Amino acid sequence: MKKIISLLIILCLLFGFCGCKANSQKFTEYSFDYFDTVTTIVGFEQSEEDFKQNCEQIKAWLSEYHQLYDIYTLYDGVNNLCRINMSNGEAVTVEPEITQLLEYSKELYKTTNGKLNIAMGSVLSIWHDYREYGLKNPEKASVPNLQLLEKANKHTDISNIIIDKQKNTVKLDDSEIKLDVGGIAKGYAAEQIAKKMEYAGITGYILNIGGNVKIVGNRTDGEKWTVGIENPHTQDSENPYIETLKLDNSMSLVTSGSYQRFYTVGDVNYHHIINPDTLYPAKNFKSVSVLCEDSGLADALSTALFCMTYEDGKKIIETTDNVYVMWVLENGEKLYSEGFKKFITN
Amino acid sequence: MPKSKLKNDLILIGVILSLTLIIFAIYKLNQKDGTKVKVIIDSKEKYCYNFNNDTEVVIQSGKNNQFENVLVIENGEAFIKSANCPDKICVAHRKISKTGETIVCLPHKLVVEITNE
Repeated sequence: MKKIISLLIILCLLFGFCGCKANSQKFTEYSFDYFDTVTTIVGFEQSEEDFKQNCEQIKAWLSEYHQLYDIYTLYDGVNNLCRINMSNGEAVTVEPEITQLLEYSKELYKTTNGKLNIAMGSVLSIWHDYREYGLKNPEKASVPNLQLLEKANKHTDISNIIIDKQKNTVKLDDSEIKLDVGGIAKGYAAEQIAKKMEYAGITGYILNIGGNVKIVGNRTDGEKWTVGIENPHTQDSENPYIETLKLDNSMSLVTSGSYQRFYTVGDVNYHHIINPDTLYPAKNFKSVSVLCEDSGLADALSTALFCMTYEDGKKIIETTDNVYVMWVLENGEKLYSEGFKKFITN
Repeated sequence: MPKSKLKNDLILIGVILSLTLIIFAIYKLNQKDGTKVKVIIDSKEKYCYNFNNDTEVVIQSGKNNQFENVLVIENGEAFIKSANCPDKICVAHRKISKTGETIVCLPHKLVVEITNE
């Protein structure tokens, strides 16, 4: 009897400290080749070889979506968004991945009262050019004038994007309209790739495309995933994360912020999220984080909510199920939608 | 049950317990000592520094080594002191010290990561 007790204690002690970690290990891979941002793949695998092999597959999918949704570059044999933008009103035959993204974006245009508008390319490309120039020539950096922006804004009517799902074609009924899917494409692609990963049995992973975090399956060591939301006050090294969340299988967390992509004119920072109503960078928040299952929805909502008041944002959240939001004001104050706090861990 | 045997068992349990605690403590200490600052350039791990040794290094990358980021490890914190990238977001980034924290320089395809692997 005593021997059995002793043995049990020994076994408990041994397994208590090393047993539950199983054999899997955490691996991380960074890539800069997709969506003009950094993509981080984190996964639990038995060996580095297994992880690398799965990363190759994930990167092949990333490359595919990156090429399809690229508005700056043409690729051989690919009819992508850049091709549509250059089509001068001709119908372009495209892959279903494009028509599906555009359809979904049109739907979300209505949900967000026009704050997510993928037809805003003409306006956004002006800001893009001014930002690129301003970063390269800081002493000559300037802000586009309202007249120029308003002229471009005449060609942002989303109803002029004509999608034929039967024929898989897209036609722009206004030859000066330009597509820009920066507010949704990363999240949408993350969601589609996550589905492919699950189907291929690649689970126990986190896919993070430039702040679009998508969880693909539970961790193999049985722990919940912990995801930190970066403190938008980028100098605060005591508090790198403004909030830490414990998340389950297949959740997605997307943060839109004014602190990562911007350029400076005089002593004012001009960030990249442009309010469709003012045509200038949105001013309400430091960052907006959206937590829900669909990463495409989370991406679109974080962009849209960034461009509207807390009150208006709250109204939209109330009409969508299982969407949780945290707004961070300029002074660092945090506002939460109902249910967000239950994910917070300390 | 004779008393001496019970005593022996208790001693055995005590020894096992303390041994396990010592092993666990060593494991934990090693984990802390093993903290490193990894520099990853264009997806490949290029450099790895001991977090406890203060240092300042110029990290060159890109074609003809034209890209430069100056990495400083000092008092248990790592940061980019200066860089010749256009946006300087890596320079503006907070100092990092906790496992898993990163500094990213997008234009130079560079990641600085605190790790204990």
